[in-house]
Amino acid sequence: MQDVVASSRPAGRRRTLVIGPGTVVRQAILLLATAAAVLPLYVLVTAAFKTQNGYLASPLGLPIPATAAAFGEAFGNGFLRWLINSVAISFTSVLITLVLASLAAYAFSRLPFPGRGVTFTLLISLMVVPPIVMLIPLFELMSDLSLTNTYQAVIIIYAGLMLPFSIYLLTSFFNTVPRELLEAAAIDGAPHLRTLVTIIIPLATPALVTLGIVNLLWAWNELLIALVLLQDDSMKTLMVGITVFQSHYNLDIPVTMAGLLIATLPIVAIYLAGQRFFVQGLAAGAIKE
Amino acid sequence: MKVAATPDRRAAGRARPRRSHLGDWLRPLPYVLPSIAVIAFIFAYPLVRLARESTQQSYAGMTQDVGFSNYQFVLTDSDFVTAVTHNLLLLCICVPVLIALSVIFAILMHETVRGRRVYQVILFLPYVLAIPVVSVLFDYLLQLNGGLNTILRAVGLGVLAKDWLGSEAWALPSLMFVIIWKELGFGIMLFFARMLTLPAELWEAARVDGAGWWRLHWHVTLPQLRSIVEFYAVVEGITMLSWVFSYVYVISNGTGGPGTSTLVTELYVYKNAFGYGTNNLSIASAASAILFVGTVVIMFINFRVRRIELHASHA
Amino acid sequence: MRRRRLRLAGRVFTATLLALLAMGVAPHSSRAASNITLTMWWWGDQEAHGAKGWLAQTVKLYEKAHPNITINTVLQTTDGLYPAFETAAKAKRGPDIQYLWGGINTLAEAWPGYVAPMSDLIPASELKHYLNIQEDTYNGKVWSAPWYTQPSFPLLYNKDLFKKAGLDPNNPPQTWDQFMKACAALKKIGVTPIAGGLQDGWFGGWLFALLGGQNLNSAKEIMDAAIGKADITSPKYSEWWRKLAEMRDKGYWNADIDSQQLYQAQAQWLRGKIGMTYTAGSDIRKFVMALGVNRTGVMRTPVYGTGKLAHTFGSTSQTLAVTSFSQHKAEAAQFIMFMHTQERMVAFYQQTGSIPADDRFPQSMITLPQQKELWGWMVHQGGPYLENFIPIELDSGGNFAGSQKLFAGDSASSVIALQAKVLDKWRRSNPGELMAFQNWAKS
Repeated sequence: MQDVVASSRPAGRRRTLVIGPGTVVRQAILLLATAAAVLPLYVLVTAAFKTQNGYLASPLGLPIPATAAAFGEAFGNGFLRWLINSVAISFTSVLITLVLASLAAYAFSRLPFPGRGVTFTLLISLMVVPPIVMLIPLFELMSDLSLTNTYQAVIIIYAGLMLPFSIYLLTSFFNTVPRELLEAAAIDGAPHLRTLVTIIIPLATPALVTLGIVNLLWAWNELLIALVLLQDDSMKTLMVGITVFQSHYNLDIPVTMAGLLIATLPIVAIYLAGQRFFVQGLAAGAIKE
Repeated sequence: MKVAATPDRRAAGRARPRRSHLGDWLRPLPYVLPSIAVIAFIFAYPLVRLARESTQQSYAGMTQDVGFSNYQFVLTDSDFVTAVTHNLLLLCICVPVLIALSVIFAILMHETVRGRRVYQVILFLPYVLAIPVVSVLFDYLLQLNGGLNTILRAVGLGVLAKDWLGSEAWALPSLMFVIIWKELGFGIMLFFARMLTLPAELWEAARVDGAGWWRLHWHVTLPQLRSIVEFYAVVEGITMLSWVFSYVYVISNGTGGPGTSTLVTELYVYKNAFGYGTNNLSIASAASAILFVGTVVIMFINFRVRRIELHASHA
Repeated sequence: MRRRRLRLAGRVFTATLLALLAMGVAPHSSRAASNITLTMWWWGDQEAHGAKGWLAQTVKLYEKAHPNITINTVLQTTDGLYPAFETAAKAKRGPDIQYLWGGINTLAEAWPGYVAPMSDLIPASELKHYLNIQEDTYNGKVWSAPWYTQPSFPLLYNKDLFKKAGLDPNNPPQTWDQFMKACAALKKIGVTPIAGGLQDGWFGGWLFALLGGQNLNSAKEIMDAAIGKADITSPKYSEWWRKLAEMRDKGYWNADIDSQQLYQAQAQWLRGKIGMTYTAGSDIRKFVMALGVNRTGVMRTPVYGTGKLAHTFGSTSQTLAVTSFSQHKAEAAQFIMFMHTQERMVAFYQQTGSIPADDRFPQSMITLPQQKELWGWMVHQGGPYLENFIPIELDSGGNFAGSQKLFAGDSASSVIALQAKVLDKWRRSNPGELMAFQNWAKS
């Protein structure tokens, strides 16, 4: 059977499977899913280019004639400052999380110590705690430390919230690194830190990239903690800013949409640019069996 | 990089018995301590404060110890029960639907060559969008006379044009729909990426055997995806229990839906702690403590029961 | 090997440095040495359109006159106004001036000690001019300073549509029967008789204030129900729910009332396809100008009830309070008083169309006929704005949620039962606030 298959298949080419629902059905389903995914975005983009009356008259139609008036109104609202805040906070917290989680995952994976099992399970069980639950005490704590309205407070809270999941992910990935590689390094007399950095990290790059992206998306989109801890308008993250913005302009739909569009473009642009890399990262086995 | 080691050295390595000594204690410290420090700061300290505040009632600067009456209040509060029920409904309905749909879409995408890149890019896009943006958009689309119903009426399906946001029966399903809409992309990409790493021969053998589409994927594809499906199920399950606040807050304008039809545990805590005109920090603390301990215990048991392997399997 | 270690260390160091720099890049709040910075958290542009511009102008003028003072203003969202303040108050750091709605909305913040008594900061000779200070008074002190009046709430109607329906556009319905007949006539010509938006809850409180007190003789009676001295489920207090259900069953309200937000529904009225809608009295000029002075009529809520309050028009003022943790209470109060100078009040009216809460405001400036009517009702038939005299939890848990449920199809009886449940919960979980409320009810 193998020979039959091998001889009829052009070398190196994956064939499309054509059994089951025909191509038409498949495409139809995928198109439907795509339409559902795109419809809200379509509303977002078209509404931003309409006037208020134009929108009310035809919410779903194309903006003809298109006008950028809404954008002008939306722009003077501090988006740039909010964007900078979001970038600083999310990138820093993700960086810290990746570093700390890598170290911890290495220990949980490769360094047996008493109580390792319980500690690990306890730490990663914290993944499931709703952040709201810690919000009040954390707010009070940060107030006592005079850290409200600062980057540091939000960064460390984000790092704390992302760590359990990150440790979970990285530990299970590190577990899959072949024992032989590490034993060889151990026999060479390599200290643990070097083993971690020179052997495991390069192998784990896909997992780190995936984790970094997932964490970045989470931190970027996080609303509640930023809402409570960053009261000053100049400190707000983009998410908080657009929530406040949306509430002020909620009657002027084109302006609301324009603002949301401005806020969405950075992340969508980054996504479109790095999308291939991301899928490759996932495909390279970010989550191993 | 040297990979091979001499056979006798390897054997010697395996034969060495494990003995715990001081080195075992000290060696991992610099690796785990930073993480534990941050986690303790963010989790342990609040837990202690919650424990203290939840047994008190304070008002106008005066504090009074009230034992467990706050806990009693929360556990007998029909709103709390409703909130927990809603989280469980989200868990039991959204997670299976997410898994099923993302597996199916991933398979379809994998089997399609024409337009695959386009589908790939677009289907993941919702996951990238911010929740406030998504919720605002659906707020407009799901109103009684909003976008979705307009389309339905235009194609003659007007009978399906329900009051998605305004009726108690449909508010929670609408919330589920929005959550699924956004979280689906993540699953699709995970499973799709995984399938890319699988060899084509995998399916060809079964195809030659004449297996139908459903049989094929049930017996061949799904087993290969099992670990990723489990991972996705865990992540999304946790989301349904503990990470849906933003969705509910924006879609229901912070009220919890018509009446309490979209109330979830996070919103219950938020409304009691920060809601309009309440000074109910003690109630919120009690509810928070219940949720904190409850969720961790469930998770802990879950992991122990499934015996999550935390150290490398000894080959 | 050493070189690699050094390189690694270097990379870690750089990363840490970058991280620290990122933190350092964060802007610090202004630290003025000898200058005073006042922070004001406020609301109101949402219902007094133009207030934002006026406030910016006021700040500029004041800063020019007082070069050592800087004032930062932050406009809050409707949903965030109170949560943000209470969060800040609990941490004892936040604004110097805080915007608060009147009545219970001020006192609920005064009782836990979050605001300083305004009557200690503003001399009585000045404070007595501010309108509606009685609803912000407790224990002999006034706790916040009224800023602008909120006539609550005029019922706008489209005169053209009334004509089309065969109704007299200059004689709007006054009794409940007339009201029902008018709604039926509008419905007959295919027009939605009256529209509202309950998705964000607030309109439920409005409905309570407009309909819920019609069998009462004074605000004290609803307060008695709140503290348990009277039964909130008795017909005297609950008839309004049944009246509302009756209107719902006859289809007089917009079908999407539960999926529209308050301001969205009002905006729908402007498009000319709806007969009537309620609006904030402070915002009436915007609505009248948008539809047309000759096409817009205002009327009072038609009467079904037999209490004294049925014939009053709700009168309240939105206020500004000085926080108890402010380091510059006197300066904050000075700024508030500046807002009440003649020039500023006239400018406020011109820019927002909303009437300042001060009896020194020249009423001759009110030229818009609809506003004149409103003002007349407030002055001659003014009464307590009932929503300000119930515990806020009854408002959000009972009125907001109850209205939503009613229009989602729940029975009036179940919603009435909900009120009792909510009150019971409030009493059990808020003993401190209950006591203060009881004291207030006695006075």
